[in-house]
Amino acid sequence: MSFLERMLADPVRRSRLKRWFHVGLVVVVIAEIALPLVFGGGAAHFSFENFPAWGSIYGFVSCVAIIVVSKLIGKAWLMRREDHDDS
Amino acid sequence: MTLGWIHPGLVLILGAWVLPLLRGRIKRAAMLLLPAAALVLCLASTPGTHGVVRVLGQELVLGRVDATSLVFACVFSLMACIGMVFALRVEDDSRHITALTYAGSALGVTFAGDLLTLYVFWEVMAIASTLLVWQSREPSAVAAGFRYLLVHVVGGLALLAGIVLHWSRTGSLAFEDMGAFSGGAAWSLILVAFLLNAAVPPLGAWLPDAYAEATVTGAVFMTAFTTKSAVYVLIRGFAGTELLVWLGAAMAIYGVVYAVLENDARRLLAYHIISQVGYMVCGVGIGTELAINGTTAHAFAHILYKALLFMGAGAVLQTTGLRKLSEMGGLYRTMPKTLGLYMVGAFAISAVPLFSGFVSKSMVVSAAGETHRTAVFLMLTLASAGTFLHTGLKLPYYMFFGREAHRPPDRRGREPPANMLAAMALAALACILLGVFPGLLYPHLPNPVDYAPYTLQHVTSTLGLLGFTALGFFLLLEHLDPEPTISLDTDWFYRRGAAAFVKRIQRPLARLESGTVGEIYEFVIRRPVLGAATLLRRFDSVVVDSALVGAGRSTRSLSRLLKTAASGHAQHYGLLMAAGLLALVALAMLAR
Repeated sequence: MSFLERMLADPVRRSRLKRWFHVGLVVVVIAEIALPLVFGGGAAHFSFENFPAWGSIYGFVSCVAIIVVSKLIGKAWLMRREDHDDS
Repeated sequence: MTLGWIHPGLVLILGAWVLPLLRGRIKRAAMLLLPAAALVLCLASTPGTHGVVRVLGQELVLGRVDATSLVFACVFSLMACIGMVFALRVEDDSRHITALTYAGSALGVTFAGDLLTLYVFWEVMAIASTLLVWQSREPSAVAAGFRYLLVHVVGGLALLAGIVLHWSRTGSLAFEDMGAFSGGAAWSLILVAFLLNAAVPPLGAWLPDAYAEATVTGAVFMTAFTTKSAVYVLIRGFAGTELLVWLGAAMAIYGVVYAVLENDARRLLAYHIISQVGYMVCGVGIGTELAINGTTAHAFAHILYKALLFMGAGAVLQTTGLRKLSEMGGLYRTMPKTLGLYMVGAFAISAVPLFSGFVSKSMVVSAAGETHRTAVFLMLTLASAGTFLHTGLKLPYYMFFGREAHRPPDRRGREPPANMLAAMALAALACILLGVFPGLLYPHLPNPVDYAPYTLQHVTSTLGLLGFTALGFFLLLEHLDPEPTISLDTDWFYRRGAAAFVKRIQRPLARLESGTVGEIYEFVIRRPVLGAATLLRRFDSVVVDSALVGAGRSTRSLSRLLKTAASGHAQHYGLLMAAGLLALVALAMLAR
């Protein structure tokens, strides 16, 4: 798959890829806000699901929360040296 | 056994023993035909009760065939097919026999209509899967296998105790919904055994411990059967148990948290099995028609994509010898096909639209929404983001992209053999087919399905969730670099805890042994035994010996007497005969 190699090795193409990723995110947010307004909201179970761009916001918050909280718990308590069990 | 129904599990378990007798292509064909035959038998099974045998006055049902057992049996058989394709080049019959026995016993559990049959297949499954760990033959695998066996023996004992209690109380061995006995000792013991096999924390640390140590091919089988057969029996016995809702939701997040800290690729994936089984356990707890359908559908989808992910990580392990993310990187150059197939599995587990997880996981999350469980809904959605974060982003990033650690040429990686790629392609195809055509699976779920996964809201919010999880990942990338550490889990209790415990009690135990126990032994066993021995010896020397000596002496004097008579001279014998005749005549005259 030399295509992949070309995309990742070349810094110009890499930054272009990054730009497309950001454009994609913006499109998703707009779709999430606009489509329910155009076609009417779906069958949401909770009122917070109708908050504009709910999925995007919750996704970002979840991701950050998982990384930060897990690392904190890990550093404070769970993570040990690799030879921990053999000592 | 009723004619017309052949147990697919027994076909696998017994058929496996034919393999050592075969060679070359015929053996390879048999390896594929056995699970294929099991799959065909499952598909051809008609609902009803088959294979009823009477043992000790009890009716044992080997074949309870209905919608629920059939859908699980079909995916188990399908998985056995894919697993055997993956293991086709392995030149070790014992591995094939073990794997097929393992798959067959999972089918046995699935079709079991009574608790005793369930127990027997349950234990066979535990032993076969332990062997799959041991067959890797590394010292670390042997140790992990012993820990795995220890945990599962405890679980099996709990199950047996529960079954015996339940039997003595109700007089029935039938395996039905246990809701009526909720809170009782039998109910609790059976539930604990099921939860242990479903790897529900704190009973689940065996899973990442063992799955990361098993053979490359063995681990692929292991991902499918133990936890999912546990989910199946939970559906059978414990649907609607409120405790399971919370255990499941907590489990979904627990797996995600540990996956952040994990550095071993297969352990990371193993923690995501725990997370995904969390959705299923939660669905069983919710217990509505939608939730049970969701649990079943998710188990079906999960078996296929998880096997695919383990096959990907296994291919990397086999061709590079690397298991730690911190040592990998840059493999996309040498293993692009593996990367592509792995990503299908990663998209499926992350519930990306058009992949299988999207049509199955969302049913469980929707069931939580339908029953107005806000916290559970939020927890499961958060775990969804975490799943994509690790399996879809972190693992492929550090494995295939990322910084390439300096490695010798034999560790740069290459595509695995064709049969391994074919097995991955089969699983990937199934992931995509299920995602694009959920109608292939939905009609076979336990309850009628009235659920449409592809709604505008669902698709857009899922894409938003996944897209912004990816954004968060790239923003926090530097904090995610895998660290060469291991994480404490509840297996600490039997890894370190047990050792520390033994160390601590060693001295008092020794004192107790030499002191109290020694004294008791002296008085209760040693002295009475010595006394009895002395008595016996005296009896032997006095009674038995003198009897023998006496008998010998009398025999000797008698024979001396006879010797005098037996002189060898004819005149002496004639004299004796004449004397005898005279005596006879005298006797006859006297008697008259």
